[in-house]
Amino acid sequence: METNYKIRHLSLLLIMAVVLLASACKTEKVLPQKEALKDISGNWQVIKATRNGTDLTAIVDFSQFRLNFTNGNYTLQNKLPFLVDQNGSFSLDDPQYPYKITFIATGKQPVSTAFTYPIVNGKRQLSLTFSPGCANNSYIYVLQQVN
Amino acid sequence: MRSYLYIKGKALWRVCACLLLGIVLACCGEIITGVDQPATATVGSTIDITVHIDIPTVGNGGPDNLILGILVPKGWKAAQNTTINYTSPLGSGTMTLVPDASLPKNGNGLTWSAYMKKTFGIGGNLIDDMEWVAYQTDKAYSHNGSEIKGDLQIKMKVGADGNNTRVKLGYVITDTGNGFVSDSNGTYYSEVITPCFELTGASGDIIDFCNPQLTVIDPPKSLDNDFITLTFDGTIVATPVSGETELYLCATAYTSDGKTISVCEQTAKTLMKQTTATSKKYQITFWPRSFFGLQDSQTIIRMEYFVTNKTNTAKVGYGNTLAPFVYTFKCS
Repeated sequence: METNYKIRHLSLLLIMAVVLLASACKTEKVLPQKEALKDISGNWQVIKATRNGTDLTAIVDFSQFRLNFTNGNYTLQNKLPFLVDQNGSFSLDDPQYPYKITFIATGKQPVSTAFTYPIVNGKRQLSLTFSPGCANNSYIYVLQQVN
Repeated sequence: MRSYLYIKGKALWRVCACLLLGIVLACCGEIITGVDQPATATVGSTIDITVHIDIPTVGNGGPDNLILGILVPKGWKAAQNTTINYTSPLGSGTMTLVPDASLPKNGNGLTWSAYMKKTFGIGGNLIDDMEWVAYQTDKAYSHNGSEIKGDLQIKMKVGADGNNTRVKLGYVITDTGNGFVSDSNGTYYSEVITPCFELTGASGDIIDFCNPQLTVIDPPKSLDNDFITLTFDGTIVATPVSGETELYLCATAYTSDGKTISVCEQTAKTLMKQTTATSKKYQITFWPRSFFGLQDSQTIIRMEYFVTNKTNTAKVGYGNTLAPFVYTFKCS
């Protein structure tokens, strides 16, 4: 009788311990922080441009050029040397972490380029690298949204 | 008195001997003692160049491989068009391109080619469309006090881009253990820039790296969809537009569909701005497609141009004549 009681007591303790330990092992769920989709919709203008490292911003009039992204399409206004010379559609390789943008001018082959999308002084910038003429001549346009 | 002079003389001799010994000891490192190179060649031919070298090694260093850099126009694609053999008292062998992954010891992370460009520039040439191509020997040598005299025999196909060219070719040697540095043992490199070498025999305009040009177009190679910067240098020679404060571009484009389009107005569109108030260098940057108002289907093959004064009564052309400057739009 005495022994039985002891065994029951022990097994109860054991069950309690298992329950306690099991609950202690419960993994804490980390809620994934969802990265915002990158929305580049809007009107963009060139705020800095270089050719093979030479700054062209002050010696070429970039003020009239506009690049507009709306609903998967883009339009060019007051054209300048650019990746594409006709309007068309565009896509990002990954809407959350894009590092490549593809322009598909209507009726033309898609053209892709690496781009960065930093926030400078609280404003989003688009930095595009491309060669509209000879492949050895590399241009970088830094664009900012027009308010 | 005599004894005093004698002692003084001895001290002087000792100083001189020490100095001389110091100079001899310090005189180590790689030296280019001469370069044998033709003065002219035909575009697309293969030329023989011999670089004579002398390496009076001292101390106890190495083994290091010898590095050779050759300064050439980019359009020659020298890396694909050059073979190099060497002869030396330590044996003969070949030199091959230094892989980009093997970085120079004192180059701050630059490749050998970039390290050479940073250290030696473009060797007094005037158009920055040149590159240093870096080679290394297949065998290494030790710095052990012996003197190594040898020859580097270069076979290079010149003018792969098909352009008549005037250029100053350059050569530099050093070793993998040191690079472009000096220390108490001496200077570990040697650079030679040769006189203007001329390539002839092709049709089309000449690319002259050696002589100052009245006008220069940047980038040197471009298409009508590039931005081009045209600079007129009024410091080279007196021209019919010398003394003018405002200069203008008067240009004609020849298109792929056989049309000619002239833009010869004296307006803001064609104004060449002086780079600084007294520089006498006038510059215009434009997008040829827009400048000449091209249709989408047209491309510009070449452009002929003059620099004029505001009233278009005085103009300058190629070589300060009334013949136009010619620029061909191409990438190679």
